[in-house]
Amino acid sequence: MSAFFRLESPYRGEYVLHRLTFGSGDPVVSIVAGVHGNEVNGVCALNLVAGVLRLQRARGTIHILPCVNVFGAEEARKRWPFDDRDLNDAFPGDPDGSPVDRIADAVLRATDGPLCIDIQTGSATVHEAPHVRVPLSGAAQELGRAAGLPVMWRRPTARFDEGLVGAWRAAGRAALVLRGGRGGSLDLDDARTLARALVRVLVEGGFLQTPEPAVPTMVTTEVREYRSSLGGFFVPEVRPGDRVVTRQLLGQLRAPLGGEPLEDLHALAPGIVLAVRVYPMVYARELVVRVAESVG
Amino acid sequence: MLRAAVSQTLETLCEIELPTGDAVAVARRRFVGGDGPHVVIIAGLRGDTPEGTRVVHTVGRHLASVASLLRGTVDLYPCVNPLAAHQGARNWPGFDVDLNRRFPGRSDGHAPDQVAAALFAALRPATQIVELRSAHPAFRQCPQARVRADRPVAIELAAQSNVRCVWRYAAAPAAGSLDDVFPDLIGLEGGSGNRLTEGVGLELADGVLNLLAVLGALPEDQLPFHWAAIQRPVSVDDDGIFDVRTTRGGLFLPTLGVWAEVEAGAVLGEVIEPISGEVREELRAPISGRLLAQREEPVVYPGNLVARMVAS
Repeated sequence: MSAFFRLESPYRGEYVLHRLTFGSGDPVVSIVAGVHGNEVNGVCALNLVAGVLRLQRARGTIHILPCVNVFGAEEARKRWPFDDRDLNDAFPGDPDGSPVDRIADAVLRATDGPLCIDIQTGSATVHEAPHVRVPLSGAAQELGRAAGLPVMWRRPTARFDEGLVGAWRAAGRAALVLRGGRGGSLDLDDARTLARALVRVLVEGGFLQTPEPAVPTMVTTEVREYRSSLGGFFVPEVRPGDRVVTRQLLGQLRAPLGGEPLEDLHALAPGIVLAVRVYPMVYARELVVRVAESVG
Repeated sequence: MLRAAVSQTLETLCEIELPTGDAVAVARRRFVGGDGPHVVIIAGLRGDTPEGTRVVHTVGRHLASVASLLRGTVDLYPCVNPLAAHQGARNWPGFDVDLNRRFPGRSDGHAPDQVAAALFAALRPATQIVELRSAHPAFRQCPQARVRADRPVAIELAAQSNVRCVWRYAAAPAAGSLDDVFPDLIGLEGGSGNRLTEGVGLELADGVLNLLAVLGALPEDQLPFHWAAIQRPVSVDDDGIFDVRTTRGGLFLPTLGVWAEVEAGAVLGEVIEPISGEVREELRAPISGRLLAQREEPVVYPGNLVARMVAS
């Protein structure tokens, strides 16, 4: 493990951007987690992958940045604690700018190589099933499929123009997003699933030889959002990763005070539950369930 | 003088139902006085900007006192992010969303997107939009106007807004911000976040009233001051703005106040080690000019902005 970048801090020890490097030479892949400090599933997944890489000799070079926003992670905060800025909004960064600009610049320099992977987590109020997000075209398609997660969500390319992934793409690198769990808490099953998916991607990319069994992947551009039509207390009836059928009850909206039922939400088509609202207080028209559906 | 029929209304632009059944409204005070421009004065996109709300109310009081003489439509939005203002927070609570990154919004989206969509629709017919902002809570700024460098009419108007400086910025505005979707917008800001700053509110309120007079909504003889009292601002492009940043972490101790006149090389402040008091760095003026903004929150990392100067 090396200290790739340091930043003096006023009252405490300096900020250090740590990078773990396994192997040497080409090809090169970089994997990053913890750009948001409260996304600890990615931190755990990368630590699990590091354990695998200590036991197996990698071909080429694998860079791992297990937790970029360590100060945020210490306080369970998404943003950089000092000035509450979102590190992911600071890319491509600036070596002479404010602290988050400098960290963003350092992350971009620390993740050289043609393939880059960002491990993300859902927000603190939504639990997401482990899945892959890729643009509609580009080199990430095959690697995304190789991750072997239940769903690969192909989204419009503009969705990948900002943040760390946007900066990688602007630099001509293939960028992949693996995502699962919820912010602010560790779900070990999700972290293990993400770690196995990363190992499969590394095998597909020629960095490792160990085959990992994969589940069949639904590759889709169709993800239906279910929103509450009223404000209330949402009680889910499904979990991330569940397969649902048409008309299956996804959840129920109840009155927060008294518990009277206000609204039932039923699946309009079969699919795989990609995200479920887990913090129950919801506004009207707020996203409560997201279901990936087969194309055609 | 022929007096047009004038109406004054306090309207609800949109209402957001909260999970527990309560509701929060985004309100607009509208003055309608017959033919004339449609001017929007909007404040409180972020919840930590009470100075803008104060300015809107100061302007509203004066308009009410001369309402029968108004021409056109003047819409005053005192605070469009009321839940955030309730907490003194920048972002919409719960969602932790910056309303000023959500335009044009989505009427079928979550609460902040619904408000952004309602505002976008309501502001589209306006002849001129003036947005009132504050500095970040860590800073104090002198009253200034920010306009896009490629909007000559807005630049000309901004010079009439009783500010010390008009900053004609060339960089593309942040995606989803109000000046992204309304490029002729004039942004007026000054003071400090989450605070009221003596003098700033009055200067900006006079500036807004003068803009209403220049635009033809308010007769010039109904201004509460003589037009000649309006300040003549320094007007600069990005090239005329100079940021001063730390290279060391510690406590920044300023030596001057905003709008101080400074010679190139003069000491603007120093960064000290917070426990021993040892001086780590002296920050010096890169140019001769004036201090447009200064950091008031002393804790700094390397690279933090501590002063912004304008060439004069």
